[in-house]
Amino acid sequence: MRLVNLTVHWLLETHDQEDLVVIKNTRWVNLPAEVLRDVMKKLDESESTWPDRKQVVACAGVCKTWRLMCKDIVKSPEFSGKLTFPVSLKQPGPRDGTIQCFIKRDKSNMTYHLYLSLSPCKLFVFVDVTKPLLQYMLSDHLNSKCSGTPLLVESGKFLLSAKRTRRATYIEYVISMDADNISQSSSSYIGKMRSNFLGTKFVIYDTAPAHNGCQIMSSPSRSRRFSSKKVSPKVPSGSYNIAQVTYELNLLGTRGPRKMHCIMHSIRALALGQPELLQHSFDESFGSIGSSKIIDHSGDFSSARFSDIVGSQEEEGKERTLVLKNKPPRWHGKLRCWCLHFRGRVTVASVKNFQLMSAATVQSGPDSGAGALTTKPSASALAPQPGPSDHDLIILRTVWESGQGYVHYGLSLSSLCLSSLCYLLEQL
Amino acid sequence: MSSNKIVLTSSDGESFEVEEVVARKLQIVGHMIEDDCVINEIPLQNVTGDILSMVIEYCKTHVDEEESEEAQTKLKTWDKEFMKKFDLKTHLKIILAANYLNVKGLLDLVSQTIADNIKDYTPEKIREVFGVENDYTEEEEAEVRKENAWAFDEADTPKP
Repeated sequence: MRLVNLTVHWLLETHDQEDLVVIKNTRWVNLPAEVLRDVMKKLDESESTWPDRKQVVACAGVCKTWRLMCKDIVKSPEFSGKLTFPVSLKQPGPRDGTIQCFIKRDKSNMTYHLYLSLSPCKLFVFVDVTKPLLQYMLSDHLNSKCSGTPLLVESGKFLLSAKRTRRATYIEYVISMDADNISQSSSSYIGKMRSNFLGTKFVIYDTAPAHNGCQIMSSPSRSRRFSSKKVSPKVPSGSYNIAQVTYELNLLGTRGPRKMHCIMHSIRALALGQPELLQHSFDESFGSIGSSKIIDHSGDFSSARFSDIVGSQEEEGKERTLVLKNKPPRWHGKLRCWCLHFRGRVTVASVKNFQLMSAATVQSGPDSGAGALTTKPSASALAPQPGPSDHDLIILRTVWESGQGYVHYGLSLSSLCLSSLCYLLEQL
Repeated sequence: MSSNKIVLTSSDGESFEVEEVVARKLQIVGHMIEDDCVINEIPLQNVTGDILSMVIEYCKTHVDEEESEEAQTKLKTWDKEFMKKFDLKTHLKIILAANYLNVKGLLDLVSQTIADNIKDYTPEKIREVFGVENDYTEEEEAEVRKENAWAFDEADTPKP
C-alpha cells in the first residue's frame, strides 16, 4: 500500500516536473537543432573579427547544447585563421594567412601584454623629420629616443599577459589570460617562462601537457577536437616544459647577428616525411624618415620565421622534439648591416629579426635552407615607443604565419617573442 | 497554370488564397503539389495565421528572383525593413515557421537577423532573452566564466 502511494506520488511529481519543463522551454530550447545551428553559423560568419567575435564565445557559454554546437561550428585557428576561444592560443596557428600580434611592455610594473592586432594593414605611422632613415635602420637600441611623433594607429584584442619577477637565481615571467590579475595562483594562469640570471636561456612551461590531439591535423573532423572535453575546467597547476630557447651572445655586440637555439617540445611533425615549418617573424615597425613623409610599415619588413622539419625520430610513438636554429643573416653591403632575406618584405635589417629553421637545415648552409623556407615569410616587429616619462612602451610585433604542412602554437610562439624581447632588454 | 490559386489554412483556421507560384516558395507545399496531393486547400498545422501571413508576404515579395543587381539590392533593403518590424519573439516564431514550411531564403534571413540582434549579449543575457536554462556544473560554469572574461576583456591597447 505504501509502495503504491509512493509510486503514485512519484508519478505525479514527474508529471509536474515535465509540465514545468514545458513551460520553461516554450521558447528557444525547443528550437530545432538545425535552426539553432543555422543561427550560430551566421554568427560565426558575420562576427569574424574581434571585438565582435566575443559574441561567439558568449553563445558557447549559454548552456551545454549551445556550447557543443558552437564549438562544433567554430573551426580552430589552423583552419579558420581566426582566434575565438582562449584555447586557440594553445592551438596551431593558421595554415594560410597570418595572425598579427603585438606585445606591449609596461616598464612601470614590468608587465607585458600580448594583443591581437585588429588593424593589420596600418600598423604604425612614425613621423620623424629630424633623423635620417639610415640611423634608425641601424639602430637596435631599444632605448634609443625617437624625436618624432609616434602615431599608433591600431587597436588590439587582449590575448595574454605576462609579469616579470626577478628571483635570486632566475627571472620568471608568469603568463596569464587575465590582463590585470597576473599571478600563478589565479585561475587565469596558463603558463610561465623562466630565464636564467643572464637572460640568455629561457624555458617555457605550460600548465597542461601539449595537446595530443594536435598531432593529427588532416582529418576533417578536427574541429571537434576542442569541443566537449575542454568543457571541464581545471585549476591550472601543472608545469610542462613546452619549449626552450637559448641565445648566444652576439658576435658583434648588440648590432651583430645573434644565435638562437630552440627546442620545441610542443611541436611535432604533422606527418612523417613532411617538413614542418613554424613561422613567425619580427616586423620591424619602427621607422622614421628624413623628410616629412609618413611611412606605413605594414608589411614592409619582416624577418623571422620558424621552420622546422621532422625532428629526431627517436622511439616510435614518442614525441618528436623539434630543434630550431636561427638562420644566419648575411652582411648587406648596401645597407651596411646584417640582413635576413624575406622576399622583399623586409626592407630594414635588425638583430631583433630572426628566422628559425630546423637545426639540420641550418647546418647544411643558409642557402640550402631556402627550400624549407619557401612559404610566405611572416613578420613581427620590435619598436620602441617613447611614452610619457618613465612609462615606456615597447611594441613587439609578431605575425604568425604558416605554410602548407606547417604548424605553430600560439603560446610557444608568443613566449618565443617574449623571450627574444627579454633577451634583448637584458643585453642592453 | 500560373494563375492557379491555392488556399493555405493556418492552425487557427485562417485561410489565405495565394497564387501557386507563391505557394511553391513554401517547399513543403511545392512537394505536395509535385506529388499531386493538392486539390486546392492545404492545411498547415504548425503555423498560426499571423505568422503565416508574414511568411506569405515574404514569399510574394521574393516570387520573382531577379538576377539583376538592382533588383537584388532592392530585395535586400526590403528584407531589412521587413525584419525590423518584428521583435525577437516574432523572429523566433517566423524562423520556426520558415523551418517547418521550408522557405530557405526566409530561414537565412531570420537566422542572420537573430545573429545580428544578439550582439553584445552576455551569456546571462542570452539565457534570459532566449529562455534557455543554464545547465552547467559548477566546474564548467567556472570555465565558461573564465572564457568569457577573456573574450570580453577590453584591456587598454596602446595609445599614442
